[in-house]
Amino acid sequence: MPIVAQTSKFSTYGRPVLAWGVGLLFFFPIFWMVLTSFKTDADAVKPENLVFFTPTLENYFNMVENYDYWRFARNSIITAVSATIFTLFVSIPAAYAMAFNPSRATKDILMWMLSTKMLPAAAVLYPMIFLAKGIGLYDTHILIITVLSLINLPIAIWMLFTYFKEIPRDIIEAGKMDGVNTWGEIKEILIPLAWGGIASTALLVFIFCWNEAYWTVRLTTIDAATLSKLIEGNRAPEGLFFGRLSAVSTAAVGPIVVLGWFCQKQLVQGLTFGAVK
Amino acid sequence: MSDRKLPRLLQTPAVLLLLIWMLVPLGMTLYFSFIRYVLNNLRRPEWTSPSLSNWRGFGNYEFVLNSKDFVLAIQNSLFIVCSILFLTVILGILIAVLINKTFPGQGIVRVLLISPFFVMPAVNAVLWINMILDPVLGLQGIAVAGVNDMLDGLRQMPVLGSFFSLWPEFEPISFRATQTSAIAVIMMVTWQWTPFAVLIFMTSLQSEDQQQKEAAVLDGAGTWSQFRFLTLPHLGRPIAIVVMIQAIFHLSLYAEIEIVSRGNGNKNLPYLIGEFANNNIGAASATGIFAVILANIVAIFLLRMVGKTLME
Repeated sequence: MPIVAQTSKFSTYGRPVLAWGVGLLFFFPIFWMVLTSFKTDADAVKPENLVFFTPTLENYFNMVENYDYWRFARNSIITAVSATIFTLFVSIPAAYAMAFNPSRATKDILMWMLSTKMLPAAAVLYPMIFLAKGIGLYDTHILIITVLSLINLPIAIWMLFTYFKEIPRDIIEAGKMDGVNTWGEIKEILIPLAWGGIASTALLVFIFCWNEAYWTVRLTTIDAATLSKLIEGNRAPEGLFFGRLSAVSTAAVGPIVVLGWFCQKQLVQGLTFGAVK
Repeated sequence: MSDRKLPRLLQTPAVLLLLIWMLVPLGMTLYFSFIRYVLNNLRRPEWTSPSLSNWRGFGNYEFVLNSKDFVLAIQNSLFIVCSILFLTVILGILIAVLINKTFPGQGIVRVLLISPFFVMPAVNAVLWINMILDPVLGLQGIAVAGVNDMLDGLRQMPVLGSFFSLWPEFEPISFRATQTSAIAVIMMVTWQWTPFAVLIFMTSLQSEDQQQKEAAVLDGAGTWSQFRFLTLPHLGRPIAIVVMIQAIFHLSLYAEIEIVSRGNGNKNLPYLIGEFANNNIGAASATGIFAVILANIVAIFLLRMVGKTLME
């Protein structure tokens, strides 16, 4: 038995209580949002109905009927899924090249890539709108998919690079000996071996795409507008419509939060960039 | 084709795409920052389309430097980023240490804790400023009103009443006001990003060398000195990662600022650009160039500090 496992009173009682307290505190705003989404707008601001109220689905029906929820949701899914696939498509070969055939410049290229994430979006927004309108891509899926892919590319390459570096080079070399070409190496050796890392990268990129608001709100009007845009249009000035607001918010973040719960393990690995062992 | 050429070529698409992504809009921003370019001007319609004949030299830069919000925006950008970093790192370490040992329901607590990270930033801001922090209709307002009601009741009591009548009425805080809106932004972003820090620190703690700890216990090290001399150094690298990733994301905060206060006394650099961009594209572009410079200063600083740890 390890010596460290002395049990103090804190460990037996205090820790669970405190940990649960912190957990519930952090979750509370989300819980509150979901709870409020089942209240009428009137109930939502009455102190006496804060906890006890007659639940209603009115807000959700209202949202589907009047706000065209499904179109925004469909756009979110189309753009986030496509952008994730495209990002992986570009970043897997790049990370492969950097991890297994590094040159002297590789380190600098990686740093430079990350530094493109520091370019403030606001600084280049207007030129982007100008260009997008110029080539007739404003408010199209293609534009949003491209932008989402580009802003997530550096993070994806970084994550994949750190995963790929973990794979022993001998395995790839052995493949070469057997006469497998570069594509074969990627497809048959690298992807199966790094599957976990690729999955968590995909997951994180998907979450960032889904939640992205700055570009999607400003580069769309109707046709390619995502759920972020729906939120933008419904943020209820001075809070008279808490019920409605909560329903829209819940419907926008619900899918991604639930996905996050199921994939927590993967995410923990992915988020650390493989750098925390 | 040599043995290594093809594999290396595979990074070209990514490099090219990012290069275009950076250079084209940035080049245009640079160009716009040197010309007069406004969206609406009835007196000088020639200024409403970008053209070299509207050359203004460093005029836009001067204009931006002299505008009263510029220094405020830079200070505020840094204040917000640094506060969030400080809070998330401290809270992240404390919570990670707290939930690192097994206890009943550990899995569920972890799920609860991690959830805020998945919430859309726009929803986060809308939710906090309206439903939680609002001084009248939000939980804050309702809670303060409740406390005041209770105090009123206590004042009616026969003997103790005179004691409670010495207590002041509580005032709810308006988080849309100039002095407090940055605090609201810091609160909501800290709520959202602490889970990220917790996740990373937790993963790192799980790999801590237990034998070393046991040896320390045998040598009579207390909980605090174990934490100070073993755990904290072990967390150095993950702290670096958390700081870097968050700095990247928070330098460009926008939605939260806009939703909380519409920039009322609480502008950061991206917000200031957005404000100029409503009409004066030239000034917005010049501010953008300043933002790029600021980002690069922070980047050089961070990458020097963190890059090494990450590349090893």
